[in-house]
Amino acid sequence: MTPAGTTALVVLVTTLVLVAWLVRPRGASTVDFYLAGRRVGVATNALAICGDYFSAASFLGVAAAVYVSGLDGVWYAVGFAAGFVPVLLFVAAPLRRFGEFSIPDFLGRRLGSERVRLVSVGVVQVVILSYLIPQAVGSGITWQLLVGRGLPGLDPYGTGVLLSTTFVAALVAFGGMRGTTWTQAVQFLVLLSALVWLALAVVGSGFRYTEAVSDLSATPLANPVPGADGWELRVETDQIDPGAAAAFGEPGAAYGPLAQFALILTLVMGTAGLPHVMNRYFTSPTGTAARMTTVWVLGLAGLFYALAVMLGTAARQKIAEAAGEHAWLQGLTTDGVLRVPEHALPVLGRLYGGDVGLAVIAAGALVAVMSTIAGLLLAAAASWGHDVYERHINPRATQRQAVWAGRASTAVVALTAAGMAVVLQPDHLAPSVPSIVAAMVTWAFAIAGSALTPVFVLTIWWRGTTAAGAVAGMLTGGVTSIGMFVLGLLPVGPGLGEMLMTPTLVAAPLAAVVCVLVSRVTRPPSDVESQWLVLHGTAADRQAERLARLTISSLGKGRHGRRKGD
Amino acid sequence: MRSGSALLAGGIAVVWGVVYLVTQVVVDPPLGVGTTVVAGVAVTLAVVLGYPSALRGPRSATVLRRGPEPRRGGARGLVAGGRAMPLRSGLTADAARRTADLLRPLLRGDAVAITDTERILAFVGPGDDHHRAGRPVRASVTLKAITTGRSATSRSTADLGCGEPDCPLAGAVAAPLVVENRVVGALVVLRTGPEPAERGQVEDMAGILSLHLELAEADRERELAADARLHALRAQINPHFLFNVLNTIASKSRTDPEEARALLLRLSDFFRYAVRQDGQLAEFAQEYFFVRTYLTLEQARFGDRLRVRYDIDPQVLTAHVPVLTIQPLVENAVKHGLADKVDGGTVTLRARVDPLTRTTSIRVSDDGVGMSPEVLEELDGPHLTASQDGGRRARAAGAAGHAPADGNDATADEAGDEAVDDAVDRPSEGAGTVRGGRGGPHPHTGVGLRNISQRLTALFGSRFSLDVRSTPDEGTVIDLRVPLR
Amino acid sequence: MDDDALRLDVDEHDTPAEVDAAFRTLRRVAVWHFVLFLAAVLGVPALSLTLGWWSGARIDGGMSPGFAMAAFGLYVFFLAVGLAAATLSSAVEARMLGGAHEEAGDDDGEDAP
Repeated sequence: MTPAGTTALVVLVTTLVLVAWLVRPRGASTVDFYLAGRRVGVATNALAICGDYFSAASFLGVAAAVYVSGLDGVWYAVGFAAGFVPVLLFVAAPLRRFGEFSIPDFLGRRLGSERVRLVSVGVVQVVILSYLIPQAVGSGITWQLLVGRGLPGLDPYGTGVLLSTTFVAALVAFGGMRGTTWTQAVQFLVLLSALVWLALAVVGSGFRYTEAVSDLSATPLANPVPGADGWELRVETDQIDPGAAAAFGEPGAAYGPLAQFALILTLVMGTAGLPHVMNRYFTSPTGTAARMTTVWVLGLAGLFYALAVMLGTAARQKIAEAAGEHAWLQGLTTDGVLRVPEHALPVLGRLYGGDVGLAVIAAGALVAVMSTIAGLLLAAAASWGHDVYERHINPRATQRQAVWAGRASTAVVALTAAGMAVVLQPDHLAPSVPSIVAAMVTWAFAIAGSALTPVFVLTIWWRGTTAAGAVAGMLTGGVTSIGMFVLGLLPVGPGLGEMLMTPTLVAAPLAAVVCVLVSRVTRPPSDVESQWLVLHGTAADRQAERLARLTISSLGKGRHGRRKGD
Repeated sequence: MRSGSALLAGGIAVVWGVVYLVTQVVVDPPLGVGTTVVAGVAVTLAVVLGYPSALRGPRSATVLRRGPEPRRGGARGLVAGGRAMPLRSGLTADAARRTADLLRPLLRGDAVAITDTERILAFVGPGDDHHRAGRPVRASVTLKAITTGRSATSRSTADLGCGEPDCPLAGAVAAPLVVENRVVGALVVLRTGPEPAERGQVEDMAGILSLHLELAEADRERELAADARLHALRAQINPHFLFNVLNTIASKSRTDPEEARALLLRLSDFFRYAVRQDGQLAEFAQEYFFVRTYLTLEQARFGDRLRVRYDIDPQVLTAHVPVLTIQPLVENAVKHGLADKVDGGTVTLRARVDPLTRTTSIRVSDDGVGMSPEVLEELDGPHLTASQDGGRRARAAGAAGHAPADGNDATADEAGDEAVDDAVDRPSEGAGTVRGGRGGPHPHTGVGLRNISQRLTALFGSRFSLDVRSTPDEGTVIDLRVPLR
Repeated sequence: MDDDALRLDVDEHDTPAEVDAAFRTLRRVAVWHFVLFLAAVLGVPALSLTLGWWSGARIDGGMSPGFAMAAFGLYVFFLAVGLAAATLSSAVEARMLGGAHEEAGDDDGEDAP
């Protein structure tokens, strides 16, 4: 490990621990632990949502996907950014107004059924786990590159996975949500500054974006693959026009015609079902604030992904140019192309900032990973501790016991994810997808978008949804999407495989149809009208705003009076 | 009319400009002409389809500024233009006094008086200690001018009719003030000396004043007609409605105090809104607030028997509609459509805006008892078409009652007076039948509707439509279309 | 003014019919915006599949229109759609639900100075 890298990491870790400690919740009630008392400003909350959302997949994965497959990789950025539009349109405000802790809580109370609650806990756990694994993989890759050494008995990759998950699990368990809301916001700012710094450095060195795209598109796109005698470059075939070579600036390098739409739709639909992102909405003060928070998120996401796409392009051009000049690059590249595309940003950082640059980017990546892991673990803790433990295992649990249950489940989920990440080392998987991290995150999006989003949107916007319908819909969506993955891992032929890996296009409509059909033949809960008042009415919001106004005006009057006294 | 179309036209022009820039100028090679035209047409279609859709509507969250609505239309401009002449706002005591002050130096009279047909409105100058404003007109010269409609001159103190022996005034010239060939008052110029003021000059001045009064009258007639009907509508808030609501609240206060308090608040909102409306037009959102406040109160009373359905386009929320117009339509539907029906029914309020034809359309429908053909026939008039519902039933009967809805503005003002009377009468008329003295359609249903139609005529001329379609036992549909403001 | 005192005492309250109305208006707003959003987000890849010019032409000598759209145009569009939908929905809610207390608030405002 280089001294600069060590310094950067130490500074980062100290800062995060300090922030988490400084703003740790004073009391240990469950509400405090999970929801920070709902007094979180719109901008802070937007930053925290970004911290949750922008994971290794966004930071390393998007740039890597663009690096490998050009325009087809850009669809990841588009899809990740677009996901918040449906959230804003259909979910944000009603979800907040209903005011429950988590997605299972929401579905359970809305449909008045414990079965729905438990099934959705199951789906949520699957989503969380499949989202956690690529994060752990991302941290492993970063550790590998940054430190290159492991703890005794472990390879560098495994060490990175274990250390980061353990660290974040401890942070979450003892910091609580309040800690993580602030640390999430801070972490996102760290992440964004790392990206902005790199973008400025790249542009400052004379990088011309449009010309780079044009130059890169002029030659066929070729990527290294492990061949019989070491790594060799192989030209990517155009999936849309088989026989032709794929180009950087044109679609087809990774996905066939249908698969392009399938990928975008998978990402678009998935965000609304991501438990750690949706849980953040419960901390907005009002439904309207939840909406405006999402607008902020859309703006920040746009900035973030535009930069990530640009840096992916820059990496493709600059690393090829620099490959001959730097000895350390020889080991990572084949003919000027990186073997592990996730290295694109860290390598770019090292090219422009030396060891400190590498450390900054690696720190950014670790922060992205850790903030997302924190959000995911918290969501897992909330659904285990609150939905399962407090309701089904120990209904007479004290606050203290419930918090401890949450902490224990945090540890269990974190360790499971770390273990699976170690098993699923990226080297073991065929490099069939643009970026392994981005692709694995896509699976989480696919399950969330297929099993949770359709049911979620239906329960918010259709009075006729029933508990049986929701269960059937979630199971259909979950089983279909996972079944399609399994099929997709088998050799089913080019084009179809990618399509099967992004199953939302098929699974989500199927889940919605099943949910509607089953709901039709069963009876909706009898209190649906009073739930509608809460879900779509603004009475509680207005009450909250009025109280806030009163408080502010009484504070103002008090201050005024005091000034008069002087 | 212009602003909405101009916006769309401008939007389309911008769209084509952008399409041209994007496909032809900044890009190399430019897109083929055919494809460009297709792209332009596609975007244009999207803009035209999006224009009247739910993509547009209010954006600002600041709500319901309920201050006095500035009056719209030309009348206000004319009034403002003539401000220099006080009488321009009508023949009132205050205006008369200021006018007299203004005229005294101009006419070189020692005193100037302005009267209406019975009283002295203003007297300025020597002798004002006993020729007081507000006293009846006694001067024979003035009375002569008023009765004959021609100017009169007097050279003796006796003709001034004050009976004061030491009145300093010795002679007077009185010229009548005439509005539409009707004498409304007189301008009197008095002198202390024996030589009266120049008669022609006084006549000319009276003529000018008359012209101003005539203009003021024309302005005011329009506004008054509209205002009077507005007042009538306000007065129409039925004592029985209040009685019923208070009864409901009283009974709820025992069973559900929280709801009773909420209802009391709604009731106070209801009256506050009805009383505070100063202008003729208000944002639809405010009228909607009034309607739902009303319906909430009625729902508390009728319980499950009264079901309500609103269907509101976001764009219509900021459109301006005549105040206190929709609620009477809804009240009509509740009172005459559903109150008499045993198992109740649904009142539907549907509001839309068509930004291209600049029309706000509001439909109030109910599935209540409907109106009998006789009532509909009686209702049918120049600005109010009423017919039997031709949609579901044979059209034959309904078509007979249809009169062409071409504008007949001249009759509107005459009809206005009746309307006010009708409306004032209405509460007492309604009183006997609120509780369904008879099971059938209500004969007085039409009065409120006609009143609204006349008020709309005063506001919009013939640029609105009010259609009533009804089928006995199936319900009534009232369609109101007014220009989008 | 005892009216205002009463107002403080009573919680805000919506009736089912009012909420249903706001709900359906908001649903219309959301669906229209979603259609617009889908048209754009699926239109960009659709164009790159069907129209050679979309990925073949060059803006400013470099990027193709399709790449430029995916690299920044769409994010701006998402923000615009999101902002439009959020402001419209909030304004609609503010006008279609509640509405009495704003005036009371204004009165307070007038009294204050």
